[in-house]
Amino acid sequence: MTVLRVDEGRELALCAADDGRHETVEIALVAPVRPTERLLVHAGTAIAHQGGVL
Amino acid sequence: VRFVDEFRDAELGRAVAGQILSLVEPGRHYKFMEVCGGHTHSIYKYGIDDLLPANVELVHGPGCPVCVIPMGRVDDGISIAHQDGVIFTCFGDMMRVPGSEGSLVDAKAAGADIRMVYSPLDALRIAKQNPDHEVVFFAIGFETTAPSTALTLKRARTEGLRNFSVMCSHVTIVPPLRALLESPDLRLDGFIGPGHVSTVVGARPFEFIPADYGRPLVIAGFEPLDILQAIEMILRQLDSGRCQVENQYKRVVPYEGNLRALEVMAEVFTLRPHFEWRGLGFISHSGLKLSDAYADLDAEVRFSIPGVRVADPKACQCGEVLKGVIKPWECKVFGTACTPERPIGTCMVSSEGACAAYYNFGRFAREREVV
Repeated sequence: MTVLRVDEGRELALCAADDGRHETVEIALVAPVRPTERLLVHAGTAIAHQGGVL
Repeated sequence: VRFVDEFRDAELGRAVAGQILSLVEPGRHYKFMEVCGGHTHSIYKYGIDDLLPANVELVHGPGCPVCVIPMGRVDDGISIAHQDGVIFTCFGDMMRVPGSEGSLVDAKAAGADIRMVYSPLDALRIAKQNPDHEVVFFAIGFETTAPSTALTLKRARTEGLRNFSVMCSHVTIVPPLRALLESPDLRLDGFIGPGHVSTVVGARPFEFIPADYGRPLVIAGFEPLDILQAIEMILRQLDSGRCQVENQYKRVVPYEGNLRALEVMAEVFTLRPHFEWRGLGFISHSGLKLSDAYADLDAEVRFSIPGVRVADPKACQCGEVLKGVIKPWECKVFGTACTPERPIGTCMVSSEGACAAYYNFGRFAREREVV
């Protein structure tokens, strides 16, 4: 998923899936993250950075 | 390659398939297990096995989270769901897994308040919105989803939620692999290692496979080129007499895994002495439960559950499929009595299940064609 907006205080990010769906994602395990970064998300939690593959 | 389309490029795929063909010894039969259900899905979605030489066989492993949940565990969930004042939450796939007297969908139809969620955080939100109900999350999955459950439990603790609990059925990937390697039923030449589990656990936990069992393992991504390249890397190891853990999925998987995820899991979970896997039986230290520090959020402590072991239906051969002993189409009920619409076994429920992958991508009762 692609990071759109980050709420660092609550360790959450608004992300967009490839199909355009938006989802709030827990980012505590991969923080810090920035908008436009790609994250691997499982069950609502980001577990890895996607390494720049678009 | 940088763009996901390139990982699906047919020409590049055929080129890697050509390298694979040049590495296989004529007359030798190779059996590689793809551990992860996500790989099984990709293999059949993209027709990867059709690009392989006839003497390279892919065997489907136990890495589909829904497929390995035993019937008794489903019965336990349904038992909690039927208790007064309970809102029972679970992932969508889990809703259709058959228990001994029906699935969670059947229980919902019978009046239980069962809700599908995409994440344990959704279940936590339901708990906040319904303070007069007990909200239970049925947690399943390997080390990919366990961190999400762990973080949710930490949030529940921080926010002081008292009406939320977790029925923990998380499992770990290494013990079943060891069990499979010890099994006399199966002779494997190498493993395509799980890509997403490895983002959390890293590559190190798989080092026992080459060290103790002399089999190579290559951690792979989920695009067609990832899987083909992983097969080529395994064959290259065999060809050169090497045997080690390699990481094809370096763009996502760090060798040491996600240390923060491992830390939070270690805080929230502890290993069960043993846990039952569908088709594989009881495997020592393969399941997670909540640690003593989180026992007050453990649904198994908070609610009474039957906890009875239930044998699979006689017609269902999910066990043999999960061990890689038979192909899905060799099961007596595949595609007839057991379909994705009306599954008898778990492997037909989830899109990551081997039977569902075969069924959805048209692999009905046929041998592979020779390339």
